[in-house]
Amino acid sequence: MKSGVFASVFLFFVCVSVSCLPTLAKGSHATIVYDDNVTEVDNIIQDEGQLWITTSDLKRSTNFELKPQGVCRNELCFPVPKSRRGQFVRKSAGRSWFNLVAFAQLVDQPVAHDEALSTWYFGLRLDQRQVLTSLQAPDFTLPDMNGKTHALSDFRGKKVLLLTWASW
Amino acid sequence: MAVAQDTNGIKDAGPWITAANPAYTALIDEKHLVSKLYNMVNVPTGVWIDERGKIVRPNEVAFVDDRFKNFSGLDSAPYLSALRDWVEKGSKSAYVMNEEQLVEKLSANDPKVILASAEFGLGEHLYKSGHLNEAIPHFKEAQRLNPKSWNYKRQAYALSDAKRDYGTTFVDEVQKAGGSKVYYTPPDLKPAEAPKDKER
Repeated sequence: MKSGVFASVFLFFVCVSVSCLPTLAKGSHATIVYDDNVTEVDNIIQDEGQLWITTSDLKRSTNFELKPQGVCRNELCFPVPKSRRGQFVRKSAGRSWFNLVAFAQLVDQPVAHDEALSTWYFGLRLDQRQVLTSLQAPDFTLPDMNGKTHALSDFRGKKVLLLTWASW
Repeated sequence: MAVAQDTNGIKDAGPWITAANPAYTALIDEKHLVSKLYNMVNVPTGVWIDERGKIVRPNEVAFVDDRFKNFSGLDSAPYLSALRDWVEKGSKSAYVMNEEQLVEKLSANDPKVILASAEFGLGEHLYKSGHLNEAIPHFKEAQRLNPKSWNYKRQAYALSDAKRDYGTTFVDEVQKAGGSKVYYTPPDLKPAEAPKDKER
């Protein structure tokens, strides 16, 4: 009995010190839709509404990478609060894991989740949305009927009437 | 620049573009990106953007002809007149809004509206990957979070049987809103008072 209690206490302190994550559920797979790119991820950990993916899957699914200065994509970097780093980055089973839902909250990014199909949809971050104070028209790039892409910024120097319509 | 907000892309928007044979740029927006970026809630919606890429008139109902006048009660002539005035006079046009007016009219970041965009996006993704039944609850959630968005209702209804899957139709919803003559809010085309300095 005493050795059993000792082992449990020892394991508790080990887990706390290395920030244990719940055990990887068998067959845990997710579809991540990020910036409208779809990535199938075979190793995930879901824990109380949080989505942990490996740092290599972070790069693969979002094109963001974990760097010393923060979570970065090219010149765009979001610092991770030092006091809460454990909410974003952890090591478990020999791998580095990143909490994509916590990151979404950090960058004011909406997340929708379909549990049955294990699909996570990440919407536009604050830096991607219309900012009230700037009055700068948000840029976008979309295709025409021939598949050729056009950006709103291509029309700089001209007045633009941006008109949305639909077949419905 | 005309942008089609059509989840089915060329399949649904293409025939209309082909028939119109436009001289202007006509783009296809399967993911309703422009509506998300500009907080648009219906079609047709127009935004005026000047040569510097600045918004000078934000989202408003923008009929450029009278084909829906019987339904909406809106005459396109005043809007077209204002548009021509801006094309001719630029920043000196009385229909260009000043910064104070623009800040007042541009939508704030309502968390429910923002989350609605993600739910709608998830619904679109599930629909396009062959999971219409799973998409419907997310379309409904988008509609619940952003009840002002007619885009979320009308696009979702168009992708399935509205009566069967949503218990309603576009016509029913317009009637609930007070009828077709109040369905669209007419643009406010009262010429603005010229501020001392319109340049921003």
